[in-house]
Amino acid sequence: MKLIELKEVSKRFGNNTVLEDVNLSIEEGDIVGIIGQSGSGKTTLLNLITGFLEPTTGQVLHSFKVTQEPADLNKNLDKIKDFIGFAPQHNSFYPKLTVAENLLHFGQLYGLKRETIVNNLKGLLKATELHPHYKKLAEQLSGGMQKRLDISCSLIHKPKVLVLDEPTADLDPKLQREIMEFLQEINKQGVTLVIASHHLHLLEKACNKIVIVHEGKLTTNGLLEDIRRPYVKKHFTISLELGTDKERILSMLGNIPADRIIDQGNNIFVHPAKTDVVQTIARLLKIIEEENLSHRDLDLRKPSLSDIFESITLRKP
Amino acid sequence: MKRLWLLTKKNLKLLIRSKSSALIIFFAPLLIILILGLSYNTSSKYGLNIGVYSTSFTEDVNSFISSLQEKEYKIVKYETSLEECVEDIKLGFIHTCVSIPESLQIEENKPKEIVFYIDPSKINLVWAIQEDLGNKFNLKAQELSQELAQNIITRLIETKTKVSERSAELNSVKEKSVSASTSTETLTENLGKVDLSMPTTAYDTAFVAGLKNNLSSEIESGLSEVTAAINAVESANISSGKTQIKTALNSIDEKLNLALTLVQGNGTNSLEGVVTLIASLEQDLTSTKTKLTSASEAISSTATSLSATTEMIKESIASLESVQQGLEEIKTNLESQKVTDANVISAPLITKIEKVSPEKSYLNYMFPVLLVLVIMFSSLLLGTTLVMMEKNSPAFFRNYFVPLKKGMFVLSIYLTNLIITLVQIIVILGVSLFFLKENVLMMFPIALILLLSSSVFTFLGMSLGYLFKSDETGVLASISLGSFLLFMSGVVLPLESVSPLLRKITYFNPFVISEKIIHELFLFGASFKFIWTDVAILIGYSIVLFLIILFIERVIQKHLIEHFMTNLHQKHRQKDKINKGHV
Repeated sequence: MKLIELKEVSKRFGNNTVLEDVNLSIEEGDIVGIIGQSGSGKTTLLNLITGFLEPTTGQVLHSFKVTQEPADLNKNLDKIKDFIGFAPQHNSFYPKLTVAENLLHFGQLYGLKRETIVNNLKGLLKATELHPHYKKLAEQLSGGMQKRLDISCSLIHKPKVLVLDEPTADLDPKLQREIMEFLQEINKQGVTLVIASHHLHLLEKACNKIVIVHEGKLTTNGLLEDIRRPYVKKHFTISLELGTDKERILSMLGNIPADRIIDQGNNIFVHPAKTDVVQTIARLLKIIEEENLSHRDLDLRKPSLSDIFESITLRKP
Repeated sequence: MKRLWLLTKKNLKLLIRSKSSALIIFFAPLLIILILGLSYNTSSKYGLNIGVYSTSFTEDVNSFISSLQEKEYKIVKYETSLEECVEDIKLGFIHTCVSIPESLQIEENKPKEIVFYIDPSKINLVWAIQEDLGNKFNLKAQELSQELAQNIITRLIETKTKVSERSAELNSVKEKSVSASTSTETLTENLGKVDLSMPTTAYDTAFVAGLKNNLSSEIESGLSEVTAAINAVESANISSGKTQIKTALNSIDEKLNLALTLVQGNGTNSLEGVVTLIASLEQDLTSTKTKLTSASEAISSTATSLSATTEMIKESIASLESVQQGLEEIKTNLESQKVTDANVISAPLITKIEKVSPEKSYLNYMFPVLLVLVIMFSSLLLGTTLVMMEKNSPAFFRNYFVPLKKGMFVLSIYLTNLIITLVQIIVILGVSLFFLKENVLMMFPIALILLLSSSVFTFLGMSLGYLFKSDETGVLASISLGSFLLFMSGVVLPLESVSPLLRKITYFNPFVISEKIIHELFLFGASFKFIWTDVAILIGYSIVLFLIILFIERVIQKHLIEHFMTNLHQKHRQKDKINKGHV
């Protein structure tokens, strides 16, 4: 079920076109990852989805109520605020209020009953593991906990869609993972997520849909597997510690069935023979084993999101 | 309502937990006092609205009014009642009321009294009025003093002229008197020469008496004898009584002979002695006659002289009468100078200062100003600070996505401010009760007016909060606005020193209005009918400002959020560049 749909949406600020002809559907249960270079229009896209910005042309439709036909989101903004949660790039809570006070405050602003708020609050505290800190001032929390609190504030009214702008920014990798796991957990509870981030590897793991915004256009939009397919690599890359026997090892590698082997320092690019990829890999692994080579990385043909993104963004017009 | 309270409660918590806000709240009043203290050191000329009361606007009064108008004072005339004039001071329509006697001419030994009615609570004006108008009256007093002195001098000159004139007459009198005196001396001398001494002959007049007695006695005796003889003749037998008759006649004869002897004899006891005596007398009389003739001549001469002298004396008398008349004229002239008291001549006008409110301490007079001052600055700063706190709060962005009308946020900030102000008012008024016990009944309406004033200033502060981007500029703008309102209030520098147009505008300064209301309530115990227009203006201000804030908030909110996001985005992008492994 489509919760939000952007149809032919363009957004211009004066003469500057930030987004052009955007078509995007966000379906219930999705985790949509939006990626793009800085200034590509990600945040503008998020603002259009949340209704903060109105499109210059096109339509942003919503159908949060099952019985309802898709309606213009901007015209019904006051009515649909209960269905949308937004966690902006920065933390958006009151640092001088405690964890519980922040959650209670925003819950009450949504006009929820106290029992409902308390139940939601307890659930969120448990899920975010903030429970031991609920009496602490928000500013006293660590970066990761603050981000979890921020997301919790966006979730206190149990929205159908949670839009997150750079939820893992400024966090260390461990915290980034924790946040993404938390978001996945939320998604399992039925919250549709729209995440804009620069941390592509995280999005790759968490999102089922990816939207790539490049120069104001949605160049890629769809299920991750679908968008990956055109970018499956014709080669794989292996990073080896060749040591002093580099020449000998290279000559050994020359004997494996491969169309081409490129030496780039410690990295060896291997373009397998189209006829027998499995044999190529088997021979390579055998050499590694026999020569007791330590390998640092093995990049197989499946392209990462980063590869896809780079392919798109580095592509010359 | 619940959510409004919720927002307000949140604001209070945030305010208390923010050190900078707390500093502003508590140190702002100190800053105000500092500014006020520094600003009081000033002096200037003032354009004042002066009420002039006089029972009759005579030439004197109008002349004085004209001289005041020369200094661009606006004069309001009060002909009917002094009370009306005084009431208008209380209402602030005029700055002072001057009661002037209808005539400023000094006609008696009593100076004219000019009474100034002033509002002592307007401390900076009181001295200005006293000094400025005092100078004007001193000038007038100096004029009058000169006039009085000139009058005296004129009279002295007139007297001198008259004395000179009379002096000539006196000289004439003197000459005539000298002449008369000489004349009388001559007369005295002449009269002294007149011999009026009587003959010193001793006249023995006793013998004439003795002669007379003797003659008389003898004649009486003879007559008696005759009578006896006659009787004897008639009654007696002539025959028988011849002897007796004869005897009697003999006796008569004897006696008559004796009398004849006395008459014809030469003895001293005879008539010859009388003749001698008469001759002596005749001689003396002749001598006396001669003397008298001589005296008569002298007297005749003297009479002539005396007649001339009398003429001269008459002339002198006439001259003296003229001199006397002159002196009378001088006296009259001098008496016409009624003002003779040196004190009155030197200070013919006395200025008296009357205060239109009961005599109180300066704290009483300053109290309304201080109250409004504290409320104005704290409300302005608090309004700005609260808006800035909300605007710059990380949670500001989230509020946009909350299904709540934006007016609620504005109202919550206002309510927060109102609660804090209420606490301030309670503390200030509570403390002030220790010093101003007699005004306890006025504290409640004053508190209400302060809350109303606070509303206006809060909305002003909030407007600034929405208009300015950073805390610093917002607070600075608040302080600047507060200072501007303060300087344009007549508290620091009198409004009378600014141009008339600007002065009219400043009467709509909310600080001026608030201070005026509290001033009238606190010092004059004014009833609601006197202050309702000002109260209505404050309410009007509050409503209009609230609507303006709603408009501003609506117009700039999206812009603010965009600005907010852009700033944060830039920061994150900079961090991203530093981090590795990210796009």
